[in-house]
Amino acid sequence: MSSRSLRQAAGTPPASDPELMSELGSGQLGALGELYDRHQAPLRRFLARATRDAHDVDDLVHATFLSAAQCAQRYDGRASCRPWLIGIAAQLLRRRRRASSRLLEILTSLKSSLQPARDPQPAYQARSDVERALGSLSEAKRVTLLMAEVEGLSCEEIAQALEVPIGTVWTRLHAARRELRKAIGGDGEGASQP
Amino acid sequence: MKTACPRLFEVEALRDGRLAGAELGRFQSHLGVCPVCAAEARALDALARHLQAPSDFGEADELHVRRQRTRLLAAFDAGLMPEGRPRAAKSWLVPAFALGLLSLLGALTFALVFRPAHPVPAAHAPDRPPEAVMVRADSSAQWSRRGDAQVETVVLVNGALSIHVDHAVSHRRLLVILPDGEIEDIGTTFSVSADAGQTTHVTVQEGSVVLRLRGKPPLSLGAGEAWKPAEAVAPAAPSATQARTPRAKTMPLGVPTASSDASAKSDAHGADPSADFRAAMAVFNGGDNARAAADFAAFVRQHPRDSHAEDAAYLRILALQRAGDSAATKQAAQDYLSRYSHGFRHAEVEAIWHD
Repeated sequence: MSSRSLRQAAGTPPASDPELMSELGSGQLGALGELYDRHQAPLRRFLARATRDAHDVDDLVHATFLSAAQCAQRYDGRASCRPWLIGIAAQLLRRRRRASSRLLEILTSLKSSLQPARDPQPAYQARSDVERALGSLSEAKRVTLLMAEVEGLSCEEIAQALEVPIGTVWTRLHAARRELRKAIGGDGEGASQP
Repeated sequence: MKTACPRLFEVEALRDGRLAGAELGRFQSHLGVCPVCAAEARALDALARHLQAPSDFGEADELHVRRQRTRLLAAFDAGLMPEGRPRAAKSWLVPAFALGLLSLLGALTFALVFRPAHPVPAAHAPDRPPEAVMVRADSSAQWSRRGDAQVETVVLVNGALSIHVDHAVSHRRLLVILPDGEIEDIGTTFSVSADAGQTTHVTVQEGSVVLRLRGKPPLSLGAGEAWKPAEAVAPAAPSATQARTPRAKTMPLGVPTASSDASAKSDAHGADPSADFRAAMAVFNGGDNARAAADFAAFVRQHPRDSHAEDAAYLRILALQRAGDSAATKQAAQDYLSRYSHGFRHAEVEAIWHD
């Protein structure tokens, strides 16, 4: 019986995130399942808002947890691993965006008659002014804003996760807030709730 | 119309952690007296609140989440952990290949010279080591298997498996990961099936298992017992006879109630270890730790050779620990260690004993 299972059998409080990360680092499958149960919903929400693409979300959630499992032994021990997972997800998003950009460049350089295809994958429908306005931002600005304002990451953490200078994070945040406020009507206090 | 404040940009700087030291203090004082900057700070707070507002954006239904969970665990199980093995094997590749080639030549020569009249089937080869865990899968089953020095893990995604574990061959624990939980084997033969992200059936032929499903209390299943999801069980109330039968063919998930187990115990006192164990578990889960410890101790005394005896010895330690009796906990841990020197919980008990 794993120590996690024993805790469950004994009715003691559930394992903390650092404990689960440590178990995951030693290859315990159950720890990954428990971390997934605990954090998949906020991670999924973050990725859905960041990408607006339903298919991408499943793959990115999957890839985030697998990456987390791979580097679990390097976990910094903070009480909740949610910001850490968000950081990994943001890195994956960035890599995916770069790969897409390269592909687009190749397609453009071919100068074929093919137009860049419209995204055939289902997109999430924004149900509020804020979500619609968020969707109008560039992905880089959107991700930075969500990491700062929703997930509570510091600008240093965001810079580290996105591998950009901290000045870029400040600039993106400023631009994202300005565009968002403009889109939802001035001071941001008049937006409709979801 | 608002009059612009030259320090307005500092509101955002404050929010993003760009101000520090004396600068931070001075701006906070300014914020208290400047209505323009205060209004800007409120506007940024409002924007953040809108972004943080609960939303179902990107939410997936439970079945979808379960499928994704199973997919993740299967991927982790299949690909991540053995990553180092191929690299390690590479350095041995050349000598291993040479050795293999030599062995093959030797075997070929031997076979040609001493060829038997009738070939012996490979399955009957006398030097083949017996397998500790034997898994038979139905043709449509999706499953995988891996192991390390401590644990053998079988991951069932879909379909049915029949598993036999022989702990006389290996002391490794067996864990079966299900789409919605796990089964821990305690030396047994059992079968399990899953469909659409849910466990649909568990039957124990020999020994016992502990079934743990997400959001449900652990359930111990002994020989002859079976489990199906509660909704699949016929809705009719069980008859008195059924309720008292210690080895019901189908049990609803959950810890048996104290009353039903007590009746089972009184009917089959000393004759049915499974009923005694379940009764002790019910007391344990009910929170009466002192009584549970006594019940587990009695179980070990009465059924020392039962497959639950080691569990009972271990749970007795936990019950005493939860009851706050540290001296008795240590004594129970010592009893366990002396009785089960290669026990499943040896490491955990040793840690308790050293505490």
